[in-house]
Amino acid sequence: MGLQPINPYKRYIMVTVKINGKEITVEDNTLILDAARDAGYEIPTFCYQADLMGIGSCRMCLVEIEGQKKLQPSCVTPVLHGISILTETPTVMSARASMLEFLLANHAMDCPVCDKGGECELQDMVYKYGPHKGRHAEPKFKFHEKDYALSPVIIKNSNRCVQCMKCVRVCREVVGRNVLGALGRGDHQEPTSFFRSFLDCDADGNCIEVCPVGCFMRLPYRYKTRPWDLKGADTICPYCATGCRMVIEHRDGEVIRARAQLGVGMNSETLCARGRFGYEIINSEARLTTPLVRRQRHGTLEPATWEEAFRIIKERMPSLGGNTVGGIAGARLATEELYLFQKLMREVFKTPNVDSGSRWDAAAVEGFIAATDMAEGGVSVFDCMEADTVFVIGSQVSEENPVTEYIIRRISAGRRMNVIIAGPRAMKLDSSANLLLRHYPAAEAALLSAVILDINAAKLAASADLTAAKDAKLDGHLKAAGLTIDDVRALATKLRNSESIAIMAGTEFLRYPHGIESLNLLKELLRSLGKKVRVMPLLDRSNQRGAWEMGVHPAFGPGYVKAPAPGLGISGMLDAAADNSMDALYIAGADPAALYPDEAHVKEALSKVRFLVVQDIFLTETARLADVVLPGASFAEKDGMLTNQEGRAQIIRKLLPPPGKAKVDLDIIRALGEMYDRSFGPKNAALVLDEIRRAQPMYADVSLAFNNKRNVDNKLDNKAALVKGTKAALTIRKFEQAASGQDAQYPFMLATGNHLFHSGRLTNYSKTLNDLMKGMTVEISEEDALASGLAAGERVLVSGAGFSVTLMLTVKKGTKRGVAFIAENFDAAPVNRFFRKGKGAPRVKITKA
Amino acid sequence: MNEGKGRFDIMELIKKVLFTDFVKGLVITFGYNVSMDSVITVKYPDEEKWIPYRRFRGLHTLNRTADGRELCVACELCSKACPTRCITVIPMEDNTGRGISDRVAKVWKVDLVRCLFCGYCEDACPTRAVRLGREYELACFDRNCAVKNREELLRPQPVPEEMSGGVVAKARLRTTPDGIEVVADLSETRKRRV
Ligand code: SF4
Ligand code: SF4
Ligand code: SF4
Ligand code: SF4
Ligand code: SF4
Ligand code: FES
Repeated sequence: MGLQPINPYKRYIMVTVKINGKEITVEDNTLILDAARDAGYEIPTFCYQADLMGIGSCRMCLVEIEGQKKLQPSCVTPVLHGISILTETPTVMSARASMLEFLLANHAMDCPVCDKGGECELQDMVYKYGPHKGRHAEPKFKFHEKDYALSPVIIKNSNRCVQCMKCVRVCREVVGRNVLGALGRGDHQEPTSFFRSFLDCDADGNCIEVCPVGCFMRLPYRYKTRPWDLKGADTICPYCATGCRMVIEHRDGEVIRARAQLGVGMNSETLCARGRFGYEIINSEARLTTPLVRRQRHGTLEPATWEEAFRIIKERMPSLGGNTVGGIAGARLATEELYLFQKLMREVFKTPNVDSGSRWDAAAVEGFIAATDMAEGGVSVFDCMEADTVFVIGSQVSEENPVTEYIIRRISAGRRMNVIIAGPRAMKLDSSANLLLRHYPAAEAALLSAVILDINAAKLAASADLTAAKDAKLDGHLKAAGLTIDDVRALATKLRNSESIAIMAGTEFLRYPHGIESLNLLKELLRSLGKKVRVMPLLDRSNQRGAWEMGVHPAFGPGYVKAPAPGLGISGMLDAAADNSMDALYIAGADPAALYPDEAHVKEALSKVRFLVVQDIFLTETARLADVVLPGASFAEKDGMLTNQEGRAQIIRKLLPPPGKAKVDLDIIRALGEMYDRSFGPKNAALVLDEIRRAQPMYADVSLAFNNKRNVDNKLDNKAALVKGTKAALTIRKFEQAASGQDAQYPFMLATGNHLFHSGRLTNYSKTLNDLMKGMTVEISEEDALASGLAAGERVLVSGAGFSVTLMLTVKKGTKRGVAFIAENFDAAPVNRFFRKGKGAPRVKITKA
Repeated sequence: MNEGKGRFDIMELIKKVLFTDFVKGLVITFGYNVSMDSVITVKYPDEEKWIPYRRFRGLHTLNRTADGRELCVACELCSKACPTRCITVIPMEDNTGRGISDRVAKVWKVDLVRCLFCGYCEDACPTRAVRLGREYELACFDRNCAVKNREELLRPQPVPEEMSGGVVAKARLRTTPDGIEVVADLSETRKRRV
């Protein structure tokens, strides 16, 4: 048949079937529904969704199979060789109409009030297939009179339910929270939370998105509009490097909804709470709408015109600044902006000092890029999920990259594979893992070294001396990581027995860079054993990878080309500033004052910079210290590109103009450059992208056309969007493990990262996201809470050396003992105060407040 | 054929000489003046005002239930159906019983400068909240006053629904700070003569 097997491990058996007389050949076990759709026939469905388990409950998809008396649900019936299927006979049509009549019998039919009206699948189906007259005259059954809130973001009206169970299934199979269930039976079955109580869940609203009718609804969007009044832009979520596709929509200039689309983007219909409800920052009152300048030395920031702000910059910022000028760009700016930013620093200000982000050391970044093979091009998460073993280390993926986590959960549940998770904190994905390793914070290096030793044990066994040395070393590592030899052996065995392995390495490696070397070593070792190893970074800022690939880094330029003379990274620049030798610093879209680990140091350093320009959308901690503040644009106000953690270059689209006098960041950067050099450019985003494409083989094929078209069979992996590989000479420096700044009188090691509902400090401006939490929290393990006589919900005092804060205690089952977690997102609990420059994971003690 | 034409021309000539058509016209005109029964002029606006039939399509009115609750559920169907897009509806939630449902209109306004009085909005309305009423004195001095909003439209119009209309009512002019108003006395009406 000329069919090439696509996956060599899978046997493809093809069968031929007839659909409405049309003969087609499909893979055996294909569902009749998919086969019919392939052949070009539409079959209506309610309960079918490609990425959920089939339940065949709604019977909308009934088809006739020649020779069989009863109609069959096509969404759960696989094809058989030679059968003839009819999808449009009068029997089928009347069955569809009857199913709809039954659904409407007890349906609330309050379309005028229902928020789903206008985009409701039930409306569409009845319009297309249904009886346009009802025969049901009896009083309708009602679950309840008034809509009830299930959470701060979900409002429920069960009277409109069609019992498709998609909400329950998405919550269980994709999100993994499993907090929804069905009460009752038959058409009295109500999918809801248990006993309709208020949900304490991930608030991601995926149940809302999959619900075909107005049963699960968005509370923040309630009674605000009709869908036809909305104007939308198909864009990318800016809150983590998963890079979910979503549509943000506004009415009269106010963004009121973000939604994901079935079969579009790698995330299909799913998003997390940040993506779905974090759009409120766009219309926040706190947005910067005008430039601010400090007219006197210790004066306040006052509104100014762009001309004045630029004049002051020109006066005080020396071109040809050389080493005393520096630039830090945030990893949320678009790729084009980041490219132009480094060009501005390098070509106009003639300084090698550029860096992106606020938290990671530049040398660590270089090592991490090398260890995770980023320069070798994009790696799709779907390819990673085809491996025998997926090893997640150094990431709280459930909170930092929720949709990546959904993908891992969903795919790993459907096939035989190992999911191994190593990390100090318990997380939701643990339930999908078949091996969990709970180690201390900052102990990734010890764990990886231990497993490397164990895999190499056979080689070392030849000599007794070596074995003894190995055992001693192994013991040391195990102690440092807080693991047993059995844990490490189990991991080594699973790795040894897998032919293909995907390592997903998170930002802990950047926070504690001594692990990078071992990560690289493990990768090389496994490759030397003949295994197919893919490495995928898990990053928490939407365009972090784009920033690095555009050369916003002191050691390399665009496309990882080594810089002729490496400059200072963020740590170097701050050290220089603290030494009084920084003349000017330009920070765009980054907030080091709030996020750099060691608050006292960063604030002192920034206040000693002779001239500080900050460009952002809010008056951040850093902006407060600035001499000139320039108002930039949010993701909804610009065209551009973001590169996600896999290396997928995806487009963001402009929906609204920036508020007030604020400007698109690209225009600000370009105008700044033009002030010194008239020819600085390119002049707009499209031209910048052209320049990037011409100059950089990695981005040569990147296209402005949207990556994914809508599809129904969940082919979500668009490989064309992945950036290409390049040759890069990156060095992995050796980092020594830094000792913790505090001693053992502080019993807890402090771990940090992004909260599930927040991304950096940006999302603090979303009221909905803030309201999801009752307060800022510190999280410890159940055992520790018990041992120290503390209970969840209590107010506790968390104190480190020189700083303490009162927080609410939360308790998590399965977290490593002796680990406390505070998210880095809260203004009132700046976790960077606990950290000390050059020291390891800080230690704290927790007492009743 | 030719003869006929000739005869016709002569008749015409005679008519013209004797001013026959002119006299006929004057008879009708004077007839109205002589007998009050056949006067069809309505002394609008000084003394009388025409009260249209129910089917008339004038200024929109937003209706309430008998117990005073707003019928409009802010479904926006009227604004969707409107061919000139002159209705703006912005919904909101209200649990105080203002409307028949917890969805009520925060904004409901119609721009009469654009309205065609086609009545599509009325047809689209699932709750019979919006009706085109019998107010037709819509002239005003600037365009803003041609935009009528919810508060105004919810006030009952002077001609009640029960009244079938098609009569001329006694009226008087009233001068208000906003301009001149014609106030009809619905208890004193007369049939219109045709
Ligand atoms: S919001 Fe998410 S976690 Fe909460 S019930 Fe819905 S699907 Fe489940
Ligand atoms: S609530 Fe919605 S998604 Fe859930 S079963 Fe009912 S119709 Fe389906
Ligand atoms: S924050 Fe990340 S996971 Fe959540 S919607 Fe945005 S891109 Fe997706
Ligand atoms: S009468 Fe016609 S034009 Fe006027 S508001 Fe109604 S639908 Fe629009
Ligand atoms: S007037 Fe009628 S059609 Fe218009 S919004 Fe109100 S209920 Fe809907
Ligand atoms: S779609 Fe097949 S039974 Fe629901």
